[in-house]
Order: sequence, then structure tokens, then C-alpha cells
Amino acid sequence: MIATATTGVNAAPARVPKARKTLLGHVPIESPLYQFHPVTRLIMFIFFGVIPLFIYLPEVNFLLLWVNMGIMRWGRVNINELRKYMPVIFTVAFFMFIVVVLAPGEDPSYTPLDVGPITIYYQPVFFAFAAYWRLIAMLFGTILYFSTNRERDMLVAMRSLRLPFIASYVVGLSIRSAGMFLEDFRTIREAEQARGLDTKAMRLRDQVKLYMMYLVPLFSIALRRADEISNALFARGYTLTGRVGGGGKRADYIRAQYKLRTRDWVLIVSMGLIFVATAIVQMRFGVFSIEYSPLNIYLKQLLGIPG
Amino acid sequence: MSIAIRIKDLEWKYENTTEFALRGVNLEIEEGSFLGIVGANEHGKTSLVMAINGLIPQSYNGIYRGDVQVFGKSVRETDAVELASQVGLVFADPEAQFTAMTVEEELVFGLENLGLGLAEIRERLEWAAEVTMISELLDKSPYDVSGGQKQRVAIACVLAMNPPIIIMDEPTSMIDPLGKGLIFDILRKLKEAGDHTLIVIEHNVERLVPLADQMLLMWQGNIAKLAPTRQFFEDPSFLIERGVLTPEVSEFAEWLRLEGYLEEGTPLPLNLEDGVEITRQVLEARRARA
Amino acid sequence: MTPLITVDHLDFIYPDGTPALFDINLQVGQQEFIALIGQNGSGKTTLSKCLNGLLKPTKGSVIVEGLDTRGRGIIKQLVTRVGYVFQNPDHQLFNRSVWDEIAYGPRNIGYSKEEVKERVEEAAHVAGVHADLFETHPYFLPKGLRQRVAIASILAMRPKTIIVDEPTTGQDMPQSVEVMNFLRRLWKEEGHTIIIITHEMRIVAQYAQRTVVLGQGRVLLDGTTREVFAQPEVLRQTYVEPPQITRLGQALSDYGLPRDALSVEEMKEAFREVVS
Repeated sequence: MIATATTGVNAAPARVPKARKTLLGHVPIESPLYQFHPVTRLIMFIFFGVIPLFIYLPEVNFLLLWVNMGIMRWGRVNINELRKYMPVIFTVAFFMFIVVVLAPGEDPSYTPLDVGPITIYYQPVFFAFAAYWRLIAMLFGTILYFSTNRERDMLVAMRSLRLPFIASYVVGLSIRSAGMFLEDFRTIREAEQARGLDTKAMRLRDQVKLYMMYLVPLFSIALRRADEISNALFARGYTLTGRVGGGGKRADYIRAQYKLRTRDWVLIVSMGLIFVATAIVQMRFGVFSIEYSPLNIYLKQLLGIPG
Repeated sequence: MSIAIRIKDLEWKYENTTEFALRGVNLEIEEGSFLGIVGANEHGKTSLVMAINGLIPQSYNGIYRGDVQVFGKSVRETDAVELASQVGLVFADPEAQFTAMTVEEELVFGLENLGLGLAEIRERLEWAAEVTMISELLDKSPYDVSGGQKQRVAIACVLAMNPPIIIMDEPTSMIDPLGKGLIFDILRKLKEAGDHTLIVIEHNVERLVPLADQMLLMWQGNIAKLAPTRQFFEDPSFLIERGVLTPEVSEFAEWLRLEGYLEEGTPLPLNLEDGVEITRQVLEARRARA
Repeated sequence: MTPLITVDHLDFIYPDGTPALFDINLQVGQQEFIALIGQNGSGKTTLSKCLNGLLKPTKGSVIVEGLDTRGRGIIKQLVTRVGYVFQNPDHQLFNRSVWDEIAYGPRNIGYSKEEVKERVEEAAHVAGVHADLFETHPYFLPKGLRQRVAIASILAMRPKTIIVDEPTTGQDMPQSVEVMNFLRRLWKEEGHTIIIITHEMRIVAQYAQRTVVLGQGRVLLDGTTREVFAQPEVLRQTYVEPPQITRLGQALSDYGLPRDALSVEEMKEAFREVVS
């Protein structure tokens, strides 16, 4: 007896992709952010990543977080995907507060507050609160960058900043290998499951031992692959000296497809100015210091803490 | 016709092995010809082509005797860049040949190594992508496309560099039937254009045979048989004993000949159409007699 | 006879939303030799991973010898029923010696030392892995042997069903013949059910009793290999071509040649009958 399916082969629903896969998730295929040169986007990343270092006011960092979110929204990032960062956000909060509650340190100027059976100290808790928002602001700067940039953009940016070709190439190759490494890792785990390994039922110590075991196949695969990749490089005429045929200079075709335009310069210069201004204002006058935080002032008044 | 590749008394042993992989190979390949190479694994097929593109001895350690010349110049005295511009090599595992983030970068990489200018890079990139039917994929990561597409990207990379000699080492062994067909389509186009000397190692003889001018059998590190394709398959048993599949229709027609259904000396069919035709004639003749 | 595996209205969608299988209905019986064919992306690998519980159905069910693969904590019970040999042996060899490799599964399941020893020796023997190799690191074995060790490590769990993903990819004719004859022996003599995933139609024609053709996540054809190859029109939808000799017979069926010959030998027989 032969069974023949009646349905056509083309019955699978076609999906129109709105996003493109990267190592760290997806980036939108079209985004207004892409009217900026990759190097502008990289500088934006550095800008949002570094500026919270000068800002201790939780209010401002909270604002920065929303600015980041706003840019992502405008840049057509699927905001729903941000949910996967929730565990990180909560874990960080949990650990930071657990530390200041359990080990606040000793200082005569600290104000003890009794919360039920335990005593906490106001100053370290508020400090942790401020530090937390700083961290989250930085984290969102990073998420913004990786949700709107592909590896390729990063490499173009690096080359535009005149890093030598080999440097950006090695970075690219490592990101690639990391991806392949993860893929292999997944398959190996499946292969172990197929041999009756139930990781859910394992103790932590055994799980650690298990990770050591993965190294054997991961490295044997990597070794065999390294050989193949070096052959592929040879076959494409790549020499480690970077010498190119004809003895001339290496053209950079991909980078040449991007041009820095006026809007890039405007954005880069403004970010530079804001950055310098913030740094000076904070270092000379401490404008963004924690004691100027309206929330801090309000809470202190509420709790009757002097100064 | 001039000689593109001349191999003289080539012997090669990899370090850490006891046996020689190549044992005194002598071979001349004409410019513009299509050579198919078959043979069981570990009998020197891959070593032979790696000796032509210079990977042996430049990237491997071992004992090397004899000489390989590409367009009259010994590969040992030619550097990687120059060799890459003369001999392109596509490997069996499409995954292992990629080093870049997007298909486009992958293609451009070799062209930049050759020291070409931007305009020429663009022109070659577009041409190679079109021939291999990957223009749609340029923007994707080479890891996110199917196996067959990957292999076409690998071929495009080599093609874009436009080497006069193109070698493919089992280009279809890891991909599905549809993908296989498209790769042989590309090979057919290249053969028709006639601008390249093509060397293809392949287990799948049924698809290779219609294209190859000559076939070569590697056995125990040496050439066991080298002949124009039709002649090469005249003795299927010889090939089968050496671990090579022959087209099923040739095997069948050989039997027809042995049993006297076909006249002694009738050339064996190499593809399905010819096989059907020959068998039809036999059956028609029988019918007429009956 | 009750089937070993029953797949009932199975749908599978990957966690990232990619749909892979639609309404698959399938029964795998005792001592069958099945080939699973279709293009890449047709769902072959996904389906086979559903059969041994590596993937859980999104909808519908897979019942393996009475066990529902969706059950919690039944990995250990499933792997003693359905074994899965991965395409690349390097992904599944993670122990320091061949012995440990083969013993890995039985130890995970929790057998006693003696039982483990017995199983390892038996599996190694059946797979043709000689005892001299027990202390060797799998990494240093040639590929053919690594594949045998991989199969032995599955055999040691004594599953009734063994799924082998592309056993002949990248192998030449003698190597393919060797591994396929080995699988045939497991099927015929040891009574296992063998499921292979492959692109090589000659292999399918020569070894598989039954062939299941998948296309875009659906079962297009399911029947004896002979019946399946006699339907070139349906096969063409998924770009699969029957072996050359089968197509020769189909082209000349008006003359009385069979449409379903699976080998040159069969064609010779049929031809003799036609002309006599």
C-alpha cells in the first residue's frame, strides 16, 4: 500500500522577513538608523556606553535609558525582543541590593532604618540604586548597538577608523568562529541527550564536569576546521603579510560602499560636544553627583535624614 | 592547444604518515579541457589537486619529489597570490571555506587579495554572482544559507578571481539533489563558455560524465587510467573493482553486449538518454524479428 | 503486531517560529529498513529528532513503544528504545577512550559495572570495533572507524530502532557499501529497525525496504521503495530522481520493462524475461 499526500508541496506558509539574523539576535532590515555611516553608529555606541560613567544621578540615567529605547523604537527594533534581557536586568538588581543589604559596610554617617526584623542603611542602598541605573543605561546603550548593527557594520566601522585590515579580519573571524562554536556546542548537547544524559536531573558539580567534557569534541572539531580554513585562505591568495597582487594597496570594496555624509559629521560632532561638556561639568562642578538627585533629597526629607 | 598543467614524476608523502600519497604521477592537462577525476578515498585524488594549486607543498609538510608546473612555472616557486590568480580550488565542505560575515564580503575578499581596483571588483563580483545564481544572497551571512547555496557561494568566490584553471574537489558530495543539479548547471555553463580549464573530482559520475572530455582514475597514489570519457567507461568492471561507481546504464549495456544483445564493439552509453536509445533499438530489433 | 513508533498528527514549529513539520502520520514497525528522503529543509532531520524525543511535538504526538515523548524525565527510557547516530561523528565522541565512549550511554542509564562491560563488548563486536582499540582516543581514529565507534556507542544501549543521519555522505563506494552492509546486518540478523536519512537514491534503492518522502514538512509518499520510485512525477515535486536504471525501465515500459526496477541485476532479469 502506498500513501500519497493530497496536499501540494507549496502549502508551507511563506514568511516575509522583517529582520535579519545576527549573532546576538536580529536587526531590522530597514531602519532610519541606517542612513548613518557605520562609524557614526559605532561612535554612538561608545557615546551611550561611556556617558553614564560621568552621571551619578539616577534620574538622568533613567532618562538615558528611555532615550535609548526611543532610538530603538525609531530604528524599528522589535521591542518585544528586548524581553529576553529581562532576566539580566532583574538578576543584576537582585545581586546589587542583596549585597548592600547584607554587607552594607560600616560608616558612622550611615543612617540605619528598621525594616521589619532587619536593619538597612539608607546611604549604601541609595548609592546602589544610583549605580544600578548607571549600569542599566550602559546596558541599553549596548543593546541599542547590537540590535541595529551587524558584524559587517562593526567591521566597516573599524576599518574606517583606520585599524589595519588584519585586525578587523581577525575580529570578524573570531565572531564567526564563536558562532560556529555555539552551533557545535548545541549539536554536542543533543548528541549527549541521545545517549541518555538528563542534564535537568544533574547536580551542579556534575554539570561543571560535563562542560569540561565538551572541550574534547569542540576542540577536535575546531582543529580540523582550522586546517580547512587556512587552506581556504591560501586558495584565495591571502598571505599573512597582507601583501596583495600587483604590489599595490589593498582596495576596501565594502567600506567604499559607505560614505560619511554631512548628517554623520553633525551627529559625531554633537555627540563629541555633549560628551566633553558632560565630562567638564561633572569634573569641575559635580553637577551630576548623587547629592543633587531630587529623589535623594526628597527621600532624605521624608525619612528625616540630615544633610 | 597549449599545456596548462604539467606534472612530472610527482611523489608526495605527508609528514606523520608511512605511505606515499602520490607515487610518481605524470600528467599533462591541456588548456581549456574538462578533466573528471574519480577514485576511492585515500587514493590520492585530493593530494593531486592540492599539488596543482600549490597547497602541497606550501601549506603542508612532507617529502616532495618531482615537479608541478602551471603555465610553465613551477608551483613551488610561485607565491600564494599568484597561484590563487591562476588556480582556483573549491573544497568539498562548503562550510569550511568561509571566513567573512556576508556573502558579498566573502566574494570580495579574494579580489582584494589580488590587488584589484574598486570598479573591477564590482564588475567581477556581479558577474560571478550572476553565473552562480547567488545575486539574491549577497547581503546574507554565508552561514545562513542552505548547503547548496553555500557551495555556489564558494564557487562564485573562485570564479570571481577568474583563474584560468578551476578545480572542484567533490563539490556536490555534501548537498541535496536539487543543489547538486544547480552546481552541474554552473559547470555546464563554464564548459560552454570555454574560458577555463576545469578539473572536477566527483563520486557522482552520472552527472559528471556528460561534461568531462577526459576521465582519470586515481588508485594507490598513481594514475590507473586516463582516457577520453567514452573510452574510460568501456570497461566498467575494471572501475568497479577499484571502488568507482559507473553509470548504471553503462553497466547494463555492458551486460547487453556480453550477452550478445548488442554487437561487439558497440560504444557503451554514458547517460540515460543514450542508454534508453540503445536499449530501445535492441528491443525494437527483437520485436521486428518476432 | 504493534508498531514501535506511532506518529500521530505531528506538527513541529521551532522556538524561533520556523514551521518545520505539518500533520505527519507515520508508523514504524518491528524490523523495518526505512529511508527518509527529501530536500534539505524538507523536515527529515526534524522528524527524526522528534522520533527519539530530542524534539518535542508542538502539536500531535509521538508514541515510542507505548511511551509519549512529551513525558517528563523519560530521556533515559527513550534512548534505550530509539538510538540516533549524528552525521558528523566528531559531534558525538566526547570521551577520552573508545571504551569510555561506548560505555557512556549504558553508564548514563545506570547499569551495573558487569552489565556495562557486557554491553560494551557486545556492541563493539557487532560494530566491528576491535578490542585493541579500546584504549585509543577516538580523535585519532580514521573517519570510518569513528563512525563505527559512534554506532557502537548507540548499540550499547540496545535500542530497537536506530536512526542514522546521512551514513554515506562524503564516503566513496567501498566505504558506503561497508557501512550500509553493516546496517543491513543489524536489520536482518540482529532484528533492529533501521531508519536512514540520505540523498543517495542508489543507496535507497539497494537497501531500504520502505521509503518515506518528505517535502516542505509533509509526507509526500510513504510505501515500499519499489512503489515510491515508480512515482517519478510525485518525486519530481521534491527534486528527487529515482536511480538511473529505474528511469531506464520507466522510459521503456511500453516495451514491457518494469517501472520499478531497483538495481541493474533486477533489470537484467526483467530484460531476459521480456526478450524470451
